[in-house]
Amino acid sequence: MRNFFRFVMALLRELGDENAYQRHLAAHGVLHSPAEWRRFCDAHWLAQSRRGRCC
Amino acid sequence: MSYTPTDLRRSAPVADSGGPPPSRWRIPRAVGWVLWAAISVLGAYSVWVLTEGGKTVNSMWMVVASVCIYLIGYRFYASFLAAKVMALDNRRATPAERLRDGHDFEPTNKWIVFGQHFAAIAGPGPLVGPTLAAQFGYLPGALWIMVGAVLGGAVQDFVILFCSLRRDGKSLGQMAREEIGKVGGFVALITVMLMMIIILAVVGLVVVNALKGSPWGTFTIFATMPIAIIMGLYLRYARPGKVLECSAIGFVLALAAIFGGQAIATSSYAPWFTYSGVALAVALIVYGFLASALPMWLLLAPRGYLSTFIKLGVVLLLGVGVIVVHPQMQMPAFTRFVDGTGPIFAGKIFPFCFITIACGAVSGFHSLISSGTTPKLMARERDATATGYGSMLLESFVAIMALIAACSLPTGVFFAVNSPAGVVGATPAAATATISNWGFPVDAAQMQTLADGVGEKTLFYRTGGAPSLALGMAQIFSSFIRGNQAVLAFWYHFAIMFEALFILTIMDTGTRVGRFMLQDLLGSVWPKLGHTNWKPGMLGTSAVVVAAWGYFLYQGVVDPLGGINSLWPLFGIANQLLAAVALCVATTVLVKMYRARYMWITCVPLAWLTVVCFTAGWQKIFDSAPALGFLAQADALSKGPQTSATAALIFNARLDAGVTAVFMILVAIILVDSIRVWTGILSGNRKATSTETPFVLTRLPEEA
Repeated sequence: MRNFFRFVMALLRELGDENAYQRHLAAHGVLHSPAEWRRFCDAHWLAQSRRGRCC
Repeated sequence: MSYTPTDLRRSAPVADSGGPPPSRWRIPRAVGWVLWAAISVLGAYSVWVLTEGGKTVNSMWMVVASVCIYLIGYRFYASFLAAKVMALDNRRATPAERLRDGHDFEPTNKWIVFGQHFAAIAGPGPLVGPTLAAQFGYLPGALWIMVGAVLGGAVQDFVILFCSLRRDGKSLGQMAREEIGKVGGFVALITVMLMMIIILAVVGLVVVNALKGSPWGTFTIFATMPIAIIMGLYLRYARPGKVLECSAIGFVLALAAIFGGQAIATSSYAPWFTYSGVALAVALIVYGFLASALPMWLLLAPRGYLSTFIKLGVVLLLGVGVIVVHPQMQMPAFTRFVDGTGPIFAGKIFPFCFITIACGAVSGFHSLISSGTTPKLMARERDATATGYGSMLLESFVAIMALIAACSLPTGVFFAVNSPAGVVGATPAAATATISNWGFPVDAAQMQTLADGVGEKTLFYRTGGAPSLALGMAQIFSSFIRGNQAVLAFWYHFAIMFEALFILTIMDTGTRVGRFMLQDLLGSVWPKLGHTNWKPGMLGTSAVVVAAWGYFLYQGVVDPLGGINSLWPLFGIANQLLAAVALCVATTVLVKMYRARYMWITCVPLAWLTVVCFTAGWQKIFDSAPALGFLAQADALSKGPQTSATAALIFNARLDAGVTAVFMILVAIILVDSIRVWTGILSGNRKATSTETPFVLTRLPEEA
């Protein structure tokens, strides 16, 4: 049950881009800050907006 | 086991591609065969009950039949495709590993990729399409959803995902250009763009028809916009990075908006939120433009998160609700409308049942997702079976749930909600008389009681599928979570909010995607137009895209036959033709891989879709019945009384005929081009030049 809950939370974090943000911090070797979050969002969402959502 | 971001990167047991994945405990072979034989018998018996059960059939038989068919399809057909046709190899490094950049390319846990892929492919299509196709009865739609998904839709998603995995995560358009030729690539791009415009118009029409004359629904949806802006500001400035926390707040506010809508609907402010179809269409067009031009963080991104979470929650709730409540099917297996005289849309069961249900059986749009984000996240090749094939089966199951929700409504009520006034009569008395004469008894008092129960003034003429689906879902939810009439009204508006919310998300992201595509196209003519940050170019192309889908939306709203009659088949044809393009690419790749003996895997669904789409397209253009053929409709209008609106209606009918013809010509071009490539390679006159990336051994550690 605990594993299932962890999986659900991990899925939600992935869908909510929180994991993507963690990967961004790790890849660039920087710490979380409001400015870094905004930098990540602007690049990430711009890329996301080029991909359609299915009908 | 915990799933931290570090764990999500673990993957790749370095094993050969032949045997089953390692496991601690395995079922003995003999027991396995007995189990699969039992599943096969149970599935066959359930399908037999569905075909013989008539009005007494319980929806549980449909659930059991579909689950058995999916299990057999996944265990045997998908395994065959993975092992023999594609020879998936876990030793081969995926693009996520080779091109890892911490952004787009990242090896990720397979179930997370599965969830991400499913969230991307699941839209309103598998909910609305089966609801509309229920006019033929529950059986044709159910069989097409089950068989179409196993043999067509899941195969397309799986093979395209495989092709993209072996080509650095390239998109469908890039693969079409490289595998088939420049013409194929260009045609794929144009087909996608045209399809996007039709999709945005038709889903917009579903929202307009659900909200017209409904202050409760309109207030709730309007309220989601300031809620999204609050979420955007919260995420940007108050709690940066806390997406789940922000989405939870947004969800609570959205629920509050539903209760607020109820209060508004019974107050003196109700007229402020009561709009006609045309007014709502104009509002949507303005919204689409603003959403496309505003910064993403302010409206689009936070609403996208909220919409995704609510979508997954509702799909889960619907699945559990249907299984727990397992309502009796009120709709017969077949209705009299298999002859093509249906009130929701015109056309016989063949080909229109197979056009109306696209998502849920075969959806070309999925090929864009399978060649988009997903291949860039996959850590192991063999995970493609669960992600590509399995998630399509899950989407198909969602379509079955939607069909059950629609078919569990009394049949007369179903037709009263979904039939346009132009077909059944402009007054409740005339509509109920017409529908009762068809053999589906319903009366005006019953409809009024139902409307009062869900807090609406009327439920007549609510075409588009969303209101009847919301009614069915509300009945299931309110039986599942027991309560009084107020609970039914809440669930109805919750379902409307859920459908409208993620349709609006599709509209704003779709408008952006369309704008980028147009800028890419125009950029080759005038490079400055291709710069996505150049404001005049951005605003101009946004306006063009919004104007294009806005025009089709407007024509749907003013259409006396309800709009869905013309736009939904157009959308279905476009979506299935895109699937045909994807299957052309997939077949070409198989031929170039020297797997021509397995061409039938993709050629059978390709041939079926080609026959279905070209028959439907031909009938929509040239059929002599004005309710079906666009040109006959234009002729009939030109011979009737001429009003100021008639000229526009004639033009619209001819425009729809032209768009259908363009779709058919584009796909005919890519089909001929593909066949030329296949025959060239098979006859030895053409070299099978593969664009597959060379084998690189994975260095990812074996999964624990």
